[in-house]
Amino acid sequence: MVTKKVTYQEAIEEIEEILAKIENEELDIDELAEKVKRVSVLLKSCKEKLQKTNEEVEKILGEMEE
Amino acid sequence: MNGQLTLLELNNLIRDALQDAFPETIWVVAEISELKVNRTGHCYLELIEKDSVSDDIVARARATIWSYTFRMLKPYFETATGQPFSDGIKVLVLVSVEYHPAYGLSFNIKDIDPTYTVGDLVRRRREIIEKLQEAGVFDMNRELPLPLVPQRIAIISSATAAGYQDFVNQLEHNSYGFVFHYRLFEAFMQGAEAAPSILRALDRIYAEEENFDAVAIIRGGGAQADLSCFDNFELAYTVAQFPLPVVTGIGHEKDDTIIDLVAHTRQKTPTAVAEFFISGAARFYEKLTELQKAVAERTREILESHAETLTNLADDVVHSAGKYLTDSQFRLLRLGQRYKNSVNRYVALHAENLHRFHSRTSKFATLLLRKERNYLARLGRETRFLGKSQLDHNALRLQQLEKQLPRKVRSRLLIAGKELAAREATLRLLDPQNVLRRGFTLALQNGKIIKSVHEISETNDLETRFHDGAVFSKIIKK
Repeated sequence: MVTKKVTYQEAIEEIEEILAKIENEELDIDELAEKVKRVSVLLKSCKEKLQKTNEEVEKILGEMEE
Repeated sequence: MNGQLTLLELNNLIRDALQDAFPETIWVVAEISELKVNRTGHCYLELIEKDSVSDDIVARARATIWSYTFRMLKPYFETATGQPFSDGIKVLVLVSVEYHPAYGLSFNIKDIDPTYTVGDLVRRRREIIEKLQEAGVFDMNRELPLPLVPQRIAIISSATAAGYQDFVNQLEHNSYGFVFHYRLFEAFMQGAEAAPSILRALDRIYAEEENFDAVAIIRGGGAQADLSCFDNFELAYTVAQFPLPVVTGIGHEKDDTIIDLVAHTRQKTPTAVAEFFISGAARFYEKLTELQKAVAERTREILESHAETLTNLADDVVHSAGKYLTDSQFRLLRLGQRYKNSVNRYVALHAENLHRFHSRTSKFATLLLRKERNYLARLGRETRFLGKSQLDHNALRLQQLEKQLPRKVRSRLLIAGKELAAREATLRLLDPQNVLRRGFTLALQNGKIIKSVHEISETNDLETRFHDGAVFSKIIKK
């Protein structure tokens, strides 16, 4: 279900899109679980990317500050 | 007087005439074109005057300052002007006009007014500055961008000068550990040779301009007085137009020289020049550190803000989905309620209909029942009527039967009695008691009559019943 090619920005946009749909109740309740799951997957992937970036950045900054 | 004079006589006449003509001392403005001090301390000068426009020499005269006077005048002049008493300067001097028959005309300098020279120097400086400004070069060097970190420095100085050593020490032992590349281009830093030799040094630097970021012209301490060589138009003109930024540290606290004025940056001492380069590098280094910090900070901020966004999004989704579900549930509940209400209404409506129908039905039923009852009653009446005639008929029959019954019963009883007696006789014959009396016995086991040898059990006693009693015996053999 998660396509690895989704960029961070795309993921955020997709989450926001789903969120808007949920908020505006444009979503069929049949889809809700699926979409919420999708959001959780996207969020997880984003968090992982962020965490990874964070680690990399800290490493680079650490080297820089040496 | 015979119309002839000896040279001496003439010269003596000239001397006397001059003495009469110039009995007093006179203040004279002149430029020193040559200056010599002999072993005995007497100073011999050549004074000139130049045409202000053409610069041609329009007057010339010899002058002397006797050692006795010169010993006093020289330091007085130099202290007052900050300027060596040397050739090339304009002076206001108090002279007596003297004529010696053997040596000719000469002015004996008795006094000097240094304020004239000071003023003249100021004027000359102003003239040089004006000329530079007119040439449009005055600000040129200052307008050059100094590299962010000037690390390759061409030094114009004399190798033996203390100021040069100070400069090199300062550069090499800077507290940051920055590395500077420098090369000395030697030049005289004072006297008449200074300007031309500095110009030659600049030429050599210019030839490999690309190897340097800046030029430092430095001179340590030295005679405070000897700065006039830096107020030189040619030198200033070249420095101003030099393609590399020039930093001066000529080692004086007083008025700036013209070189200082046209240089990119003017520092007071060679040490200050070194400090200028070091602090420039330090500023750059600090800026780098700041940028690095800013990058780190901003990067962390961005990451944090993204993390926050993600958390918010997660919260939002949880919240929205929850709300959505709650809403849906509520809607479902409401739908259920509506359904229930509808059903109730429907049921109520139909119940009423039913009731109406029922009451209509019951009326109808009552009617029907009554009808039916009437029908039944009629039927009953008819039946009763029919039954009565039937009963009457049966009663008659019964009466007949009643009449016939005793007779029939009696004959029947008679027959029965006869049959009974016959049966009694047969029964008597068959009575087992009578059979036993006739010599038959009954064999029993467990009170049961044994009718066959096969029925006998060997383990139980065998009862043999006679008409007057019974014996029990054991089975010995079967």
